[in-house]
Amino acid sequence: MILKYDLTQDNLKLCGLQEGEEIYYCLPLDIDMKGDFRQNSYTIMTNRRLLILEEGALTREYLLADFEMIKSEPQISCGICYIVKDGQEILVGRFSAKHLTRYSYLHRGMQILKSGRTEHVISREYEHSCPKCGRALPGTKECPRCSGKREGLLFTFLDMMKPHKKRLAVILVLMLGATVVTLANPAIQKHLVDDVLLREEKAYGAAIACILLMFAMSVGIVIINAAKSYLCTRLGAYISEDQRAKLFNKIQGLTISFINERTPGELMNRIIRDTARVSEFVGNVFCNMFTVSILFVCVCIYMLVLNWKLAILAFAFAPLSVGISMAWRKNIRKRFHLQGAKSDKVNGNLQDVISGMAVVKSYGQERREAEHFDDTAEEFARIQRNNEVFFAIFYPMLTFAMSVGTYLVTYYGGCQTLAGDMTPGELMQYINYTSLLYTYLGWMSNMPRMLMNMVTSLERIGDVLNQEPGIYDHEDAVEHEIQGDIEFRNASFGYKSYQPVLENVNLKVKKGEMIGLVGASGTGKSTLINLIMHLYEVDDGEILVDGIDIRKIKVENYHSQIGVVLQENFLFTGTILNNIKFAKPDATIEEVIHAAKMANAHEFICKLPDGYNTYVGEKGYTLSGGERQRVAIARAMLNNPRLLILDEATASLDTESEYLIQKALGRLTEGKTTFAIAHRLSTLKDADRVVVIDGHQIAEVGTHNELMEKKGIYYGLVQAQLQTSMKAEADA
Amino acid sequence: MKEEFQLSQMEQETDEMLRIRYLNKDNAVFQKTPGGFLSLTVGEEVYPRVQVARMFPFMYKEGLLSIRTADERSKEIGIVEKYEDVGAETADLLKEQLNLKYFTPVITRINHIKDEYGYAYFDVDTNHGPCKFTIQMGGNAVVHLSETRILIMDIDENRFEIPDIMELTAGERKKLDLFL
Repeated sequence: MILKYDLTQDNLKLCGLQEGEEIYYCLPLDIDMKGDFRQNSYTIMTNRRLLILEEGALTREYLLADFEMIKSEPQISCGICYIVKDGQEILVGRFSAKHLTRYSYLHRGMQILKSGRTEHVISREYEHSCPKCGRALPGTKECPRCSGKREGLLFTFLDMMKPHKKRLAVILVLMLGATVVTLANPAIQKHLVDDVLLREEKAYGAAIACILLMFAMSVGIVIINAAKSYLCTRLGAYISEDQRAKLFNKIQGLTISFINERTPGELMNRIIRDTARVSEFVGNVFCNMFTVSILFVCVCIYMLVLNWKLAILAFAFAPLSVGISMAWRKNIRKRFHLQGAKSDKVNGNLQDVISGMAVVKSYGQERREAEHFDDTAEEFARIQRNNEVFFAIFYPMLTFAMSVGTYLVTYYGGCQTLAGDMTPGELMQYINYTSLLYTYLGWMSNMPRMLMNMVTSLERIGDVLNQEPGIYDHEDAVEHEIQGDIEFRNASFGYKSYQPVLENVNLKVKKGEMIGLVGASGTGKSTLINLIMHLYEVDDGEILVDGIDIRKIKVENYHSQIGVVLQENFLFTGTILNNIKFAKPDATIEEVIHAAKMANAHEFICKLPDGYNTYVGEKGYTLSGGERQRVAIARAMLNNPRLLILDEATASLDTESEYLIQKALGRLTEGKTTFAIAHRLSTLKDADRVVVIDGHQIAEVGTHNELMEKKGIYYGLVQAQLQTSMKAEADA
Repeated sequence: MKEEFQLSQMEQETDEMLRIRYLNKDNAVFQKTPGGFLSLTVGEEVYPRVQVARMFPFMYKEGLLSIRTADERSKEIGIVEKYEDVGAETADLLKEQLNLKYFTPVITRINHIKDEYGYAYFDVDTNHGPCKFTIQMGGNAVVHLSETRILIMDIDENRFEIPDIMELTAGERKKLDLFL
């Protein structure tokens, strides 16, 4: 995202930059205090001052040293920016929602500049619309039109074709075949009429030969087209398969933050829909693109050579025909869009009522809902009816209008034939070429749209494929068997560069120690764990595992030695057996049973009708929260990890489940370095040490008793929980 | 011990939340701060900066305002039911803050709408001046607040309102057809 907009020379003059002064950030103030849109107004931050330019005038100026901070506050569809000076908040400007994210970086930028550092804050977020042409960006970094990549993307497309050169060559030969046959057919018809049928002597043999040839060609074109379509569709399928595999592998290698910034739906769309679009393009458009282009040019030349006057007449109606065809398509799209929207509304309404049926019934609102549904369904039916009537009436009219040029050619050509300037065969050939011309025109007028669709999809695919993976094996990475000593050295990290979550964390954990992590929500407990799991890399400082920098251990090797049990454990669609074996696919049955027993899961699994083969996950058998938890513990147990992460592993469970899970966890954590997050502090009583995180840092470290004696944050938390539970008991 | 863990205080706060406290010129003094915000004094309570929010932004623009603290917790201090309760001068101060908080230009004229590759590009006149914006087609960019009143959200999450589509000309409505 742009954090420094360009200023005009006049505006630069207004800033009056002194020597050594440099503009770091320049963001638009695109609405005034009344809410009116305006241009030429900016918030400018240099390494020394904050300047406010409003419509060609410098209206305010502050030295960075003179105020404490600058903040932006999101409002409803807009934002305000203010500074805090001597404890007083002073409003400096207002901007539309377009610049909300940009302004959130200003605070961090100011902090860096105030601390005397000179680095620029960089935004990794993408613009929503192209700064050059204003077109919306389809979730990509660069505009497919302005980046000059449009042609580049065509090369990318050809690159994709490279591994399929042989198939492509066959398709090209077929394309040429189709062209020759299509062009030759009218010429033979002409020969049949002029040289055979209209000759005085009856040449039955020649006539039959012509007809047979024409028949053979018609059959030939069908075979060629079928073969071409088959090969192109297959080529498309191969290409999308390649792309899908590449995308999937790439997405797996990217950081969790890249995944989290995008919805699962968006990523699925890229893997499924965008690749399907490329495949569709190859199947439907690409295979006809060359044939149609070559044929179009040949037909035009042929027509000009045969009769240039008639050719010009036929061409004169081409723009009209293209215009009609485009207007028609637009109208159809509009109608279908409307029909689709109404259909969505009916579906949405149905889904709403069916999922909320219990509420509808318990409030006795069936009749009102039924009436409401009737109204939407009726509206949908009306639009559908209108569309069908429109098709029935207008489609034949359109076909006629599209072929007006052909009728004119027939009329004038007929006149010329009667006058003896043209033979009947030539006229027939001419009419055939004219209809071919109009057919291709209609097809070609749709080309830009289809091409753009494909290019956009390619761009979106490329956007993922070109991402640098955040976590990767560094050059000197080695395999390492984890012993369990973990150390944080001045580690700092933030998901977004301007928002630090952990700052300057120092912590030494010995092998086999169990560490309880405590703190309010959003303080960075899970972030700390994400760093230990090496899902992210620290921005500053380092994390050492057995004295080795975590970045120097091979990622896959490291991950295979970690066990994780979360509050909500994800079970894949499949059997319980496969879910337990997930981390160690080559485990023996005995190992699986042993792990399940250790996890207190064996008993409940054996009681299920299908035992270890019970199908779970979506559409499968529904396990209770406690049962899922124990399957997850068995999964972790089987892997025998050296490092264990428990994130709220016993939250939201009933007492019996919790007891069983506590027991299972006790066995699991034995002798392993464990990090456990828990809101319910009683579950941390077995922890060797408790680490309290507050204000982006480690606030307290010590055993339960030490921290209770200290009477700090941990003491407060324990007291509060005690009071709440005592109150609850008393109320009961 | 930290404030948020004080049980008795939490209970007191919960009880307070149940009460509806109406603010009027007798119990509340609103003042504009030198920095351009609004401060409030209610009896002994002094708030150096407060926020003003509409409780029913689409139904009652002029009244039923929730006056809240400006910190992250944004707790309600009281409700201003109607402007008359606080006097003309304070009403103006409240309107000024509301104007800062809400930005939903009203579309007065549609000059042009172009749809291209899944996005629609609007060129309109609004009560805040001419404006061009882009919406995504096929999403939930257009919300029907009633049969004739629509709210349009652009790709940057700016919102635009058409209070009554019947007041647009037939030509303008035709341009909008795809979204209605």
